[in-house]
Amino acid sequence: MINLEDIYRHFKIEYLKFFKMDSLAKAAFLGAELVCKDINIDRTISKKDIAIVCFNRSSSLDNDMIYQNTIQDSENYFPSPSLFVYTLGNILTGEIAIRNKIEGETSFYVTENFSPELMHETIEAIFENKSINGLLCGWTEYFNDFCDILIMYIEKSNDNKNVVTKDNISNCYNNILWKN
Amino acid sequence: MEELILELKKEIIEVLNLEGVTPADIDENAPLFGEGLGLDSIDALELIVLMDKLYGIKISEASEGKEIFKSVQIMADYIKQHRTK
Repeated sequence: MINLEDIYRHFKIEYLKFFKMDSLAKAAFLGAELVCKDINIDRTISKKDIAIVCFNRSSSLDNDMIYQNTIQDSENYFPSPSLFVYTLGNILTGEIAIRNKIEGETSFYVTENFSPELMHETIEAIFENKSINGLLCGWTEYFNDFCDILIMYIEKSNDNKNVVTKDNISNCYNNILWKN
Repeated sequence: MEELILELKKEIIEVLNLEGVTPADIDENAPLFGEGLGLDSIDALELIVLMDKLYGIKISEASEGKEIFKSVQIMADYIKQHRTK
């Protein structure tokens, strides 16, 4: 089982808000950190022109169940505000945007399985927006201690096209570093 | 009172997930918000839940919370006077 806090400490990340996130947001956040730490994503593209799109299977169900425990018992009914704010899967895209000061659009899709086809179609659709030139894109699944994260950073080509193919996406996913 | 202050500090650290903070790091007379611990509005809501869950104190007015959560010492004084559990 992956310990997300250990990964955070291993890479000496300094962002205390991390410890307030739910596991899904932590996992996605770490994926984005590892991608962004070695590249300046805004070296040629303004952060206003970078979008974020993520997909997963279980949405925020992992945290939803923890939150449910705070409201399950009418005799011990104390809904937790800090758990409640993570009962939406798309919150993780906001966390990544805030951390990296990315100001472009963000979106989040829940889908049955990892789908390079759907991801590719979505990348194409996002890049049709002329103001979007870079994209942090990923599969961000976390449920019941199962963690499966792929984050990619993609830029449009000089002739304004998406250069990433379905096979590229499949290859990245199949060569993922950590899977448990 | 010292025991209550220590208990409160431990609870705040646990409930608010204050990584790397120990009870000794929290000055009971220092402001909880705006500086120091860097707490936010969600943390304020968690403190309201904490007061209800641990001490049976219901805070319904935001302005009331603003006064009570000024510091750990003020929180402890309020708990001592109003706790029902």
